[in-house]
Amino acid sequence: MPQEFAQARNQESQQPQEQPTVMGESRMNGSVDALDAVLDDIESVLETNAQEYVNSFVQKGGE
Amino acid sequence: MPQLRDSGNHPVSDASRRSDEQPASVPGGADRFDRIFGIETEYGVSVTGADAACDAGAVAMEMFRPVVANTRSTNTYLENGSRLYLDVGSHPEYATAEARDPMDALAQDLAGEAVMRRLALEAQERLRSSHGDGLTVHVYKNNADSAGHSFGCHENYLVLRYVPLTMIERQLLPFLITRQIFTGAGRVTSGGFQITQRADFLDEAVSSATTRARPMVNTRDEPHADPDSYRRLHVIIGDSNRSQFATWMKMATTHLVLCVMESAVRHGCPTGFETCALADPNAANRAVNRDLGCRDARLDVVDEPGFRRDAVRAAGGEDFGVTALAMQYRYCAVVERFLERYGDAVDQSLNGTHARTVVEQWRGVLDAIAGGRFDAMADRVDWMAKRRLLEAMTARHPDIDPARLAQIDLDYHDVANGRTYEALTARGAMSMPVDAARVRTAVHEPPHGTRALLRGRFVREAKTSGAQYSCDWTRLTVHAPVRRELVLLDPFDDTVTEDFRSLLAAL
Repeated sequence: MPQEFAQARNQESQQPQEQPTVMGESRMNGSVDALDAVLDDIESVLETNAQEYVNSFVQKGGE
Repeated sequence: MPQLRDSGNHPVSDASRRSDEQPASVPGGADRFDRIFGIETEYGVSVTGADAACDAGAVAMEMFRPVVANTRSTNTYLENGSRLYLDVGSHPEYATAEARDPMDALAQDLAGEAVMRRLALEAQERLRSSHGDGLTVHVYKNNADSAGHSFGCHENYLVLRYVPLTMIERQLLPFLITRQIFTGAGRVTSGGFQITQRADFLDEAVSSATTRARPMVNTRDEPHADPDSYRRLHVIIGDSNRSQFATWMKMATTHLVLCVMESAVRHGCPTGFETCALADPNAANRAVNRDLGCRDARLDVVDEPGFRRDAVRAAGGEDFGVTALAMQYRYCAVVERFLERYGDAVDQSLNGTHARTVVEQWRGVLDAIAGGRFDAMADRVDWMAKRRLLEAMTARHPDIDPARLAQIDLDYHDVANGRTYEALTARGAMSMPVDAARVRTAVHEPPHGTRALLRGRFVREAKTSGAQYSCDWTRLTVHAPVRRELVLLDPFDDTVTEDFRSLLAAL
C-alpha cells in the first residue's frame, strides 16, 4: 500500500499552483514547508501502536 | 435495475410510473425553488488507553448521561432545533435542524461536531477518574470502522412531489455517484486508496425500504410537510466530510440539480440530464470509487453516443470519455445554462448562498481535476487532502507501516481528539467559510426561516421552565403541569402564532 503513495508528488509540486477561487482561501497551497509542519504536528501526537489504535474502533449498528 | 417502490400512502399513478424523460407539465406555480436541507450523521465511538476494561458502548452511554439526566431520553432536541440521539448499543447521531440554505445546514452540521466533541471530552474527564489518565475517547465522523461495518451521513431534501421517481433514478443518481470526485472523504484500504468511504458498502440504487437494504437514495412520504406538495428525498450515498467546502458543495450542487429537474417537470420540457442515465449504478459507483484520476474509469451509460455528444459540448470541446469527470461537466453545464434564466429565482429561494458562486466553485474543481492539479484542491476536497498527506508521509518514511497510514485516515475523522484535520486547519490549510464564532452561534440558535425556529425556542423555554415536555420534527408538546400540543406541518413556516404563544404560556 505505501507504494501507491510514493508517486506523483514530485510531478505535482513542479506544476504552477493556481490560486483557488475564493471560498475562504487557504494559505497552504504549494507550500511544502507548511505541509511538513503539518506532518510534524501529526507525528508528534499519534499513538505509537497504530494497528492497535485502528483495531480499537469497532462500531455496531447503523444504516 | 431494482424496481422503484414508493412508500407513500397514495397510489403511484401510471403516468409517473411510465413517464421519465418527458413528463406532462404541471400547471401553475411561480418559479420558486424553496428547499429544506438537512444532514443526519451517525458518529462512531471508540476508546483507547484505559487502565481497566472499557467498551465503546459504555463510553457512548457515558457521553449521553448528562443528556439523559435532563430529558429522561437518549432522543432529544436541542435549542438550535436539531436532534441528538443515541441509538443504544450503536451510534450517537446528530440530525441538523431544518435549514433553507446549504450554508446554514453546514453551520448546523459543524454545531453537531461541536456538541459531540463537548459530550466526548466531558465523558472522558469523568471516566479518567476511574480508568486512568490515559483514557481517550474518540468520536469519528466517518463511515467505516476497522471491522467492515459501515454507517452513514445522510442528506435530506424536500423535493416537489411531481418529480417522478424514475427521474430520480435515471437523472439524479448518476449525479450523486459522480459528485464523489469532490465530495468523497477518501479511504485507505488493503486494496488501495479509494476516493469514497461508502462505495464498497452500498447495495441497491433506489429503494423505499428503510432499514435492511442499503440503497443509495430513498424517498419517504412522511408528514413532515404538506404531502401533496413535497416528498422527502433521503440521500444515503454520501460520505461524512470534515471539509466545510465539501459539505456545502454536496448540498448546494445537489440542490441546483434538483431545481433543474423540478423546473423541467413544471414546464414540461427535458432536463438536459437524460443521457446521463447509467446502465448499472452500482458498478459505476465502484468504478468511480477506485478512479483516482476521476477521468479514467469508463462508466456504462444507456445512451453512449448521446452522452458523449452532450459531455464534449459541456466540457467546451474536450473529450473526457464516459467518466465521472465528463458526467460532472455535463451536470455543471446544464445547471449553468439553467441559471441564465432562473438564477435570480434560485437565489431568492436561498438565504445567502449564491447559485453562481456554487457553479464557479464547481467548475473550478472540475477544471483542476481535468488539469491533474489535485494538490490545488487539497484545501477543499477531503480525499485529496488525505491523499496529499499520506503521500507526504510516505515520502518522509518510505518504509512506513501501512497501519500508520490507516491510523492517519481514521484520525482525520476524530472530532474529539483528532490531530490530523486539526493540524491542517491550525496551519490555515483548509478552506473554512464558516468560522468558529458562527459555529458557536449555531450550537444555540436555529437556522433562519424554518419551523426549527419554533422548536428551538420551545426547547429553550421548556428547559428553563422545568415543565415536562417532548417534541419531534412536527410536534411540540407540553405534558405537565398542563397538556398542550402544537403541530408544525410546514417546515417553511417560522411564524410565531397565537397558538405558539399559548403553548409557551403553558410551560
